[in-house]
Amino acid sequence: MHRSELGSERTNAGKVLMVDDDADMLALLGRWLQGAGFTTLTASSGSDALHQIATARPDIVVTDLFMDEMDGMTLVSLVHADDPLTPVIMLSGQARIPDAVRATHLGISAFLTKPIAKDAFLDEVTKHIHPHRRAGSSAFGRNIIYRSDVMAELIEQGELVAQGDVTVFISGETGTGKEVLARAVHDASPRRNQPFIGVNCGAIPEQLLESELFGHEKGSFTGASNRHEGLFLAADGGTLFLDEIGDMPLGLQVKLLRVLQDFEVRPVGSIKSVPVNVRIISATHNDLESLVAKGEFREDLYYRLNVVPLCMPRLAERAEDIPLLLEHFLIVHAGRAGNSRKRFAPDAVAYLGGASWPGNIRQLANVVELCTTLTKGAIIPLSMAHRALRHEPVHIKTLKEARADFERNYLVSVLRISEGNVANAARVAGRNRTEFYKLLNQYDLDAGDYRTGDGDA
Amino acid sequence: MSERIPIVVDPDLADLIPGFLDNRRRDVATLQVLAAAGGFAEIRRLGHSMKGAGGGYGFDAISDIGGAIEHAALAADAAGIVQQIERLADYLARIDLVFAA
Repeated sequence: MHRSELGSERTNAGKVLMVDDDADMLALLGRWLQGAGFTTLTASSGSDALHQIATARPDIVVTDLFMDEMDGMTLVSLVHADDPLTPVIMLSGQARIPDAVRATHLGISAFLTKPIAKDAFLDEVTKHIHPHRRAGSSAFGRNIIYRSDVMAELIEQGELVAQGDVTVFISGETGTGKEVLARAVHDASPRRNQPFIGVNCGAIPEQLLESELFGHEKGSFTGASNRHEGLFLAADGGTLFLDEIGDMPLGLQVKLLRVLQDFEVRPVGSIKSVPVNVRIISATHNDLESLVAKGEFREDLYYRLNVVPLCMPRLAERAEDIPLLLEHFLIVHAGRAGNSRKRFAPDAVAYLGGASWPGNIRQLANVVELCTTLTKGAIIPLSMAHRALRHEPVHIKTLKEARADFERNYLVSVLRISEGNVANAARVAGRNRTEFYKLLNQYDLDAGDYRTGDGDA
Repeated sequence: MSERIPIVVDPDLADLIPGFLDNRRRDVATLQVLAAAGGFAEIRRLGHSMKGAGGGYGFDAISDIGGAIEHAALAADAAGIVQQIERLADYLARIDLVFAA
């Protein structure tokens, strides 16, 4: 029977694996699912199901509880041992509460008692299936480019996490895109219309970071000629992204912990605490557990931040995404340079796909830029890819580059704190106004961008 | 007990239903053999399957009989099983399938 003959109003995508040792039941469920637009797979035993899951990657599993050889509970445990995010619906011939409770503890999505009604069954499948998970087309993280399973799983976790309000901790090497993921979580969360504010905790000296995060009262320290709101309050209602949290000085960690416990901030120099409603997403390239073991990071703060851990994989761990990323950055570069898009020769793509990429996506972006800049023709040859990768130094910055990064971050912090008032900012930085202006010009910074309301210069 | 039982067939399942009913007729024969041999575990399994699928195909009575067979097998109630086998055979013999025009 063709799908169109079934007269179904549903149009669903996704692959459903049905597991039952009763052929009539499999035929019935299969007919219902196909009529609703799903693709179906069948398994007559638990071991057959595990084989199909490994090879065909279904989006959802529907299993009977009572089966010979391997029962549904064992199957769920094994499925979730491999991938805890695979949704499983369990069918049982008996409405026994202990079975439902046990199955729920095993992480099933729904427990249905047979005989089941067609509409109730299809509703549950539709509700729990994640057909997009391996297609790379999720609205969540639409700016994240991937097709690898490892990223699909991460994206799915991120999407689930986004809907709640839990504190998220993102680990991953430098250049893997931790901030991109943090922003995707924010954009998919109920806070999406509120601010997303990021701060690099490692780039700002302790005293400035405290003021930057929690704010300060007018006159609370030399140069504090205005009241400064602080990033916690600026992010009120939204998300505060604390990047490189592992580099936060110990003294500040205590203060951050207090804010996370009390949901109140006390600006420097103030005796009054102000309530804040901020979701915290933190990230680091450091191994925080080892920093905790060495006493360099507070254990209590670690547990407070690490409620939901997400780990950005190294680029080499998602090599199948490399051709997509190369394509993406070729388009980006062409758009920026106003040139026609160049392409990598197939052997260049193969070579870059197998590289180790210690600087991760940031390094890849730089290599693409270098290649497109130095290639005259439309096709970037393997020799150029070799050259670019060999000479691309992104993973270790020169001292000059690192110092410039630090100075720029420092100046931005000072400007924020002084709300764009150059005289005050210069005083905080220990420079005269002329020198300070020179520094701003050097880093292409405009004090006016940091003024709020009627602040003067 | 010869009154006919009309069952309106779900058009989406029309091609599956004859096979489903054939399987139940085979179940009658299998259950009779198992009942004679005291094969309660297998009887229970067959009753469980019938209970699960019957209603979905539009035969609530088959689900009902399957549940009763499962229950009787659990209780090792041979007489009860025989009674349900007869009930199933009788039901299957009296069904008239009504297909939509």
